[in-house]
Amino acid sequence: MSQPTRSAATPGMLSSAMRIFDLSLGQMLWSRRSVFLGVLLGGPVAIAIVLRVFDTLHAAGFKVNGAVVGGSSIFGMMIWLLFIRFIVPVLGVFYGTSLIADEVDDKTITYLFTRPIPRSAVLVGKYLAYLACTVLLVLPSVMLMFFLVAPTGGGSIGAAFPSLLADLGMLAVGLAAYGAVFALVGTRLKRPLVVGLVFAFGWEPAVLLFPGYLRRLTIAYYMQALVTHEMPQDSAVSMLLQIFHEVPSLWTSLLCLAGIIAVSLWLAGRAVEQREYVLEQ
Amino acid sequence: MPIHDQGYRRYGGHKARTGTGWMVIARAGIRTFIGKRAFLGLLMLAWAPFLVRAVQFYAAANFTSIPQASILAPSAETFRQFLEQQQTFVFFVTVYVGAGLIANDRRANALQIYLSKPLTRAEYILGKLAILMTFLALVTWLPAILLLIVQIAFAGNFTFFKANVFLFPAITLFAFIQIALASATMLALSSLSKSSRYVAILYAAVIFFTQAVYGVLYAVTRSTALSWLSFSANLAQVGDVIFRLPLKYDTPWPVSLLVIVGLVAGSALILERRVRGIEVVS
Repeated sequence: MSQPTRSAATPGMLSSAMRIFDLSLGQMLWSRRSVFLGVLLGGPVAIAIVLRVFDTLHAAGFKVNGAVVGGSSIFGMMIWLLFIRFIVPVLGVFYGTSLIADEVDDKTITYLFTRPIPRSAVLVGKYLAYLACTVLLVLPSVMLMFFLVAPTGGGSIGAAFPSLLADLGMLAVGLAAYGAVFALVGTRLKRPLVVGLVFAFGWEPAVLLFPGYLRRLTIAYYMQALVTHEMPQDSAVSMLLQIFHEVPSLWTSLLCLAGIIAVSLWLAGRAVEQREYVLEQ
Repeated sequence: MPIHDQGYRRYGGHKARTGTGWMVIARAGIRTFIGKRAFLGLLMLAWAPFLVRAVQFYAAANFTSIPQASILAPSAETFRQFLEQQQTFVFFVTVYVGAGLIANDRRANALQIYLSKPLTRAEYILGKLAILMTFLALVTWLPAILLLIVQIAFAGNFTFFKANVFLFPAITLFAFIQIALASATMLALSSLSKSSRYVAILYAAVIFFTQAVYGVLYAVTRSTALSWLSFSANLAQVGDVIFRLPLKYDTPWPVSLLVIVGLVAGSALILERRVRGIEVVS
């Protein structure tokens, strides 16, 4: 009996990752999670609609200390408070930590690992699908919010448009960085979500209040340099943050974030290659 | 071969008292979490603010000759601030313990097994609630009460306690509201899904998203009248009333209390709907 011949060479890393990307993107877009994502991203749009209606009904617009607040300032506040401080980290934690953990929970990781593809391609493919899914949903939400809010208070869409482009880029970079870090957490730890939440909502806000080098161990520190809007003063913590506000240069931030993404993904890939995932019976 | 009577014998053992089944669930759950080293680490970390406050009280009681030490002197506000600081740990303990309480049972189809025992739905929920409430009391009520005792011990007199005798009921009441709100909300969310991770992120979204929405509206209007939208602002408002402190927000405190009661009632309704032994598919 003759030995079976291999009709084709083992697929490479990139083509394998793209196969997994195809598979995962559909799963991510048509899952219960999308409902969560929809509610999360629909919230800012709903607020923007309320603000727009209020502005249309009250010609005087929004006033702070007697001065009318421009639409671009309100948009900036919404970007800071809703997206940078909440939505981007929470999406990173939620999707990043579950890239591999979901397959382990559903006991379907075996089907992926028995395919003739590098194990790390599974992670890279799923990470790219996460990035595509979140970017494709977050950016339209931000754009809708911009077009609803920017013209309020005598603001101009044309004048504020360049800052919108910067915001879209910044959010995409943020999603990529948080996703990569939490993908690493998800592949290494048994309870990744709790650790992720501690990092995003415990460590990051706390450390940013301290002067010194500790804040460089956060993603938010580098993200701040990419934001074109002024930090809002909505609480005592925000005021403290402004006192200790020190941001790196744009290029340093971009370089550091690129480094964080590359190193995190490489370490996560290594973890997936080496770790034995024991499925609970 | 003679055929004997094949009837059933009556149960001759002791019957467990009705209404105590929840204790079994609570005991088993508490024992499970206490066996986890990572969780014990989290509990120990949650006691760090207690140590800091104890040192503060020691300094205030023993360095009275230094005028600057007067700023360390405890007041009712100190205890209020302490419980507010513990909110962070309340969040993490709630997520760690509570996310899987019902979700994991639903995932493993264990709910039917539980409810096939002499255990009512109310007892099942009470047992699960007791697990979470016990651990939350360990990071809120217990350290706050111990802090009160530590103050008396370091001062060597009852002067502060007598002047602030309302602190004991205030701590107890506020800690209970804090614990009940977190536990009820988390348990209701846990009953909505089979994935504990999904539940944890939903809870985080409820807490932080409501705060962020209020933050935006405050930044736009510069009015705190809409603070009832925020989960934590409602708790802060009610806390200030209980501790007899000036209110932080313009929202009337009964409105904040109503929102809290509404959240707990809504959670109870969800639990009533979701915790069922058999799902009837129409």
